[in-house]
Amino acid sequence: MKHRAALALALLAMALVPLAGRDYYTTLMLPFFAYGIALFGLNLLFGYTGVLSFGHALFVAVGAYTAAYLTSAFGILHFEVILLVAIGAAVVVAIPVGLLCIRYVKIYFGMLTLAFGMLFYSFLYKFYHLTGGDEGMRVLRPTLLGQSFPTLDKVGFLTGPYYYYSLALLVIATFVMWRVVRSPLGLSLRSIRENPDKAQYVGVSVRRYRFFAFVIAAVFGAVGGALLSIPTGLVDPLLAYWTHSGNLVFMLLLGGFTNFFGPILGAFVFIFLQDQVMSLTQYWRLVFGAILAVVVIFFPHGLMGLVDPRRRAGT
Amino acid sequence: MIEAALAIVLGGVFNAAILFLVSAGLQLVFGVQKIVNLACGSFYALGAYFGISAVQWALGAGTPRPLFLAVLLLSGVALAAIGPVIERLLRTIYARDESFQMLLTFALVLMFEDILRIVWGPRTHVMGGGLYTLYGQLPFGAVKIPVYNLLVILAALAIAILMGLFLARTRFGRIVRATAENREMSEALGVDMARVYARVFTLGTALGTVGGALVVTSTAASLDMGIELIVDAFAVVVIGGLGSMRGAFVGALIVGVLKAVSIATYPELELMAVYMIVIAVLVLRPAGLFARATA
Amino acid sequence: MHTTRRNFLKLTGSAAVALGGLDAILAAKRAPLFAQANPVKIGVLPIKSGVAATVGEGGMRGFQWGVDRINAAGGILGRKIELFIEEETNPKDTTERFRKLALQNKVDMVSGGISSAVGLALGPVAEEMKMIWVSWDATTQKGIEETMPKPKYSFRSTDNECEAVMTSIMAAKHWKGKVKTAAGLNLDYTYGRNNWDAFQAITKKYDMGLDYVLDLWPKIGVTDLTSHVAAIAQKKPDIVFASLVFAELPIFMKQAHAAGLTQTTKFIFPPAGLQHTAMKKAFTPDGIIFGHNSMYFEAPNASPLLKQFTKDYHEKYQDYPHFESDRAYSAIMVYKAGIERAAKAIGGKWPTTDQIIQGMEGVEIESFGGPFKYREDHIPDCNFYAGFTTSKNRYDFSTIDPVEIMHTKNLQPPTGMGFFKWIESWKA
Repeated sequence: MKHRAALALALLAMALVPLAGRDYYTTLMLPFFAYGIALFGLNLLFGYTGVLSFGHALFVAVGAYTAAYLTSAFGILHFEVILLVAIGAAVVVAIPVGLLCIRYVKIYFGMLTLAFGMLFYSFLYKFYHLTGGDEGMRVLRPTLLGQSFPTLDKVGFLTGPYYYYSLALLVIATFVMWRVVRSPLGLSLRSIRENPDKAQYVGVSVRRYRFFAFVIAAVFGAVGGALLSIPTGLVDPLLAYWTHSGNLVFMLLLGGFTNFFGPILGAFVFIFLQDQVMSLTQYWRLVFGAILAVVVIFFPHGLMGLVDPRRRAGT
Repeated sequence: MIEAALAIVLGGVFNAAILFLVSAGLQLVFGVQKIVNLACGSFYALGAYFGISAVQWALGAGTPRPLFLAVLLLSGVALAAIGPVIERLLRTIYARDESFQMLLTFALVLMFEDILRIVWGPRTHVMGGGLYTLYGQLPFGAVKIPVYNLLVILAALAIAILMGLFLARTRFGRIVRATAENREMSEALGVDMARVYARVFTLGTALGTVGGALVVTSTAASLDMGIELIVDAFAVVVIGGLGSMRGAFVGALIVGVLKAVSIATYPELELMAVYMIVIAVLVLRPAGLFARATA
Repeated sequence: MHTTRRNFLKLTGSAAVALGGLDAILAAKRAPLFAQANPVKIGVLPIKSGVAATVGEGGMRGFQWGVDRINAAGGILGRKIELFIEEETNPKDTTERFRKLALQNKVDMVSGGISSAVGLALGPVAEEMKMIWVSWDATTQKGIEETMPKPKYSFRSTDNECEAVMTSIMAAKHWKGKVKTAAGLNLDYTYGRNNWDAFQAITKKYDMGLDYVLDLWPKIGVTDLTSHVAAIAQKKPDIVFASLVFAELPIFMKQAHAAGLTQTTKFIFPPAGLQHTAMKKAFTPDGIIFGHNSMYFEAPNASPLLKQFTKDYHEKYQDYPHFESDRAYSAIMVYKAGIERAAKAIGGKWPTTDQIIQGMEGVEIESFGGPFKYREDHIPDCNFYAGFTTSKNRYDFSTIDPVEIMHTKNLQPPTGMGFFKWIESWKA
């Protein structure tokens, strides 16, 4: 099937990037992988369930700080352990936050999630004995599948084993999300997005399914956050700030939330566009604000909306 | 001791006055147009920077010093001219989901960050020349309170009363309230939506820019002041109830005074206090204190 | 949900090509203006936006002035400097920009770095990538003690506490016996906490017998301090130690003045220099302590270099420089001097990175504040300035007179010694 072939080609292209020798751009793919995973989660909430979270950065920060804690405070370097604990932490945080937020919809949901994100930010900032406060916490280089690659320096590690590991995680995350979206849960979520009242009449427990979506989204966010923290080597409270959540929504919209692969495209374009624009002008915020405005007004279905003829009508 | 407590509360009320102006703008726009305008903080910052420039220019041109407050008010009102321009931009997506509109205002926030920096540079702009204390100070025990602060509180109060009268008594005010309650019905009854929206948004903008202009005398114009204010305005709107003017008034008082008191009693909480209040309200009384039935 | 994945691939493919093309255009745009075959490439990371934007701006201006003069005189050993200016934002993005400068632009040195979190992130990255990094600021105790005790490629700034140490000592020397109570008003982050701890430790060491009646912790970005002023007035302290850094400093002064606090209270503002032109005479009392870090634009011992810089700065920007300009200027001057010194030792050839580092260690240059050089642990030694405010000047803002000058060897601990242990060891 030609679609499968196209996907395989994209995967091959990504696998070949490190071999092109442009180390910087290879390292730039890493936040792309991380954000791609986090955005799958955000889109489960927005594209499939119809609620827009302005606090998704909270879970990204949870994942990142998990990595920091385990590596620098407890000396646990196995990345698989870090991922598992990050997932657990995300669930633990998402349950109470989700239960509270899920009672609301539309703008209230957005505002409440924003508030929780900022609460987490101020917690990370304030409790500096635990979290390092404004100075943040170090994230040490993890071992991948038990291997520490002692002969490789950080750049070699990032453009080599860590690159492929992150790519593999993205592929796995894509697969998992594909299954979720195709599952009865996914179908129920879509019915909730279309018409919550009708869904309720048909027997779909709106609140419960929204809650599940919230927790799953949190897990994806945290995995992305853990991945994101390694190249920087440091986590700080700004990871949870509301403008970081705003950027995540920006990426999602840029890629297109009505399409399964929209989030990935959005992350890719955002990261590389930001990189180029930042080098071009010191007024990149102005440029990016303008781009976001243009996308919101003229291309609400994002870039995927341009290529996919089977666009969803209206929002 | 009583004077000390009073001084602290008055400080909180001063904050509340400014917060009210900006939140009222937010509420008005949300109530009628259902847009959460994240850029209200940017308007506030713009009002502050422009206010200082306007006063500097006016005094340099020979305006007598005591009139600087009038210059500030006028400059804030004049800035409302950007209202219709931005409203036109937002108009393109009225039909869409509210989240999109919020996103567009986020785009404005990003753009304004750089616009302010391009025009006024990154330095802190302070109004010098002793204008803050020009109108004198009133003794309150250990502290003196500048008469300017009281004037601002009175101005905010006057604006609040005027807004109330405007909404309750004037024809346009009634149209605004009707549109807020039921847009389709208003339109069906022949109300020109485009004009209503343009005017309401302009009024909301003016409230923000006037707030910024008034506050700059007692503080300063700095790049991040808008981002900082959004959080507090947010809290006010949540506590008071989205769309309610009375809510903006009461919410601003609560946030302003609570912050002032917490600083004097439990300073460690200062950073987290606002968010905790927001979440508590959203959880316990989600509609806020004065929510409209159709929020 | 169906999707045309081939179209997706096409789109990413063309996006990649477009971005690659854009990158090529940018590379061409960066080609040096002078017909210079082999420039020295230097990456710079100033803060451009947000509360600390003015700090970054002052630094960039000082840096640029230094670079322009070096290039006007023919460059470093005949090679002109070419700048690649990025931006310091948050640790994650700034780390990415650093990597870009190192891997993509292949710069020879990176300078900049002001906030502590960014500094803590960049240090290990500089070491890993073997890239000389000369920071402008961002050195905290944690950075020294925990994360990078022996940096090779990173050259850091003086301790963040130096300003607090100097101004506290001044307070002890001039006000001991005249003051009984003290209040602290510091921003709620590491720098603020470190400053307040330093003040308490030093005033105790000098046996000032102070009662620390209040400590307040406003958050960064606060724009109104009336409540803080009211809380302070309630306690009526004799001294207020306020390590305020950003816009809140002039705001606090203005509001304290309006509340009548400035009549009876003495103030200490360790990093006042950063906002000095905003500290208008109308609301700033005389006789309070302002710290100006490593450079005061009107120091009594101002060198012709400083005078020239101040003059040029005023002509170009209608403003008077603050000390961040000096931190950045020193960075580029030490780099140049280090290269020249290393080249001399090997007969005039261009030195390797390791040789440059060796050259930089201990070479003394003339900064705006006087002699400046790096210790072996890559922390600088230089002069520090502070003084008592006066309104007797031709500006609309307060200046300092008399000016005191102290050397960093009395303001920061020697290599390897903890900060508080060092204070303990003083004979006060």
